[in-house]
Amino acid sequence: MIEAMLTSPFFGLALSIAAWCGGVWLQKKTKWVLCNPLLIASLVIIAILAVFRIPLADYNQGGDIIKLMLGPVTAVLALNIYDERKVLKEYFFPVLAGCLVGSAASLASVLLLCRVFNLDEMLTASLLPKSVTTAIAVGIAESQGGTAGIAAAAVVLAGVVGAVFAPLFAKWFRVTDPVAQGLATGACSHALGTTKAMEMGELQGAMSSIAICVCGIFTSIIAMFF
Amino acid sequence: MNIMGQLALIFGLSLVGEGVAALLPVSFPASVISMVLLMVLLLSGVVKDRQIKTVSNFLVANMAFFFIPSFVGTIEHVDLLKSQVLPLLVIVGLTTPVIYLITGWTVQLLMLRRRRKEGAK
Repeated sequence: MIEAMLTSPFFGLALSIAAWCGGVWLQKKTKWVLCNPLLIASLVIIAILAVFRIPLADYNQGGDIIKLMLGPVTAVLALNIYDERKVLKEYFFPVLAGCLVGSAASLASVLLLCRVFNLDEMLTASLLPKSVTTAIAVGIAESQGGTAGIAAAAVVLAGVVGAVFAPLFAKWFRVTDPVAQGLATGACSHALGTTKAMEMGELQGAMSSIAICVCGIFTSIIAMFF
Repeated sequence: MNIMGQLALIFGLSLVGEGVAALLPVSFPASVISMVLLMVLLLSGVVKDRQIKTVSNFLVANMAFFFIPSFVGTIEHVDLLKSQVLPLLVIVGLTTPVIYLITGWTVQLLMLRRRRKEGAK
């Protein structure tokens, strides 16, 4: 019976949703940044799989269904652009130029450092899209021969760095223009940075939110040539 | 539109994205194709935002949930990650400010030029 339950897709689905709810509850209760529901849920699931010696393949019966939803999740990011269409129209050229340069700088700098450290192809492909939002990064990494998990981890790490340091970067590098601050934050640290950009101001938040989509598109296009 | 209708629209878009990706001679993420497609449909007015709003809000509000299986999947690569932890941290830590600096200054210079032009008028 246990065997039949573990290999059912409902095992992965129920476990993931329960762990997620637990993570959300814990964050509300403690209000700690480190109690991120994604991090908590993933660690709880990994621990459960390890303790009960459940193969990852069993969990993935349900996990793959959740992963499948990354496509629709990415698609509806189009609403970011739609909701900010007025601001986008006003700053169309700076947005396009900023995101193009930002995406190119991101891919080039990551590729260069991966070569310096002599990382293998799989790891390099997983790290390349680390500056775009997770849903898009996973798509790019997999289409380049990387793995979703490492890509997602690198993306979240970059997002945390950006979210914490964005206001300091603005000061250190003397970036004072709100449009520039917003786009730069979105270009280097996607959705997590956007939360910070929104605290810095409405225009910064809008720009950062636009940058998530536009950088995602540019990064996918440039990554095609690698 | 009710939730079923919204889901049909969003899943349909994802399906078209997969189809277009299969046609392309290079590897390009299908999800980004469906995003661009939806963007075009929204901006041209073919699809109204209220026709996808309920489902979209749900997906975006719980976005991180959908990354859990990818995160759990990293246990397969735990040895590789352990052996490369320093390069990984250095790469992410170093490139993030570089991207901020380059993007920020590109846009800032463009905005300065633009303001000067507007001022001259």
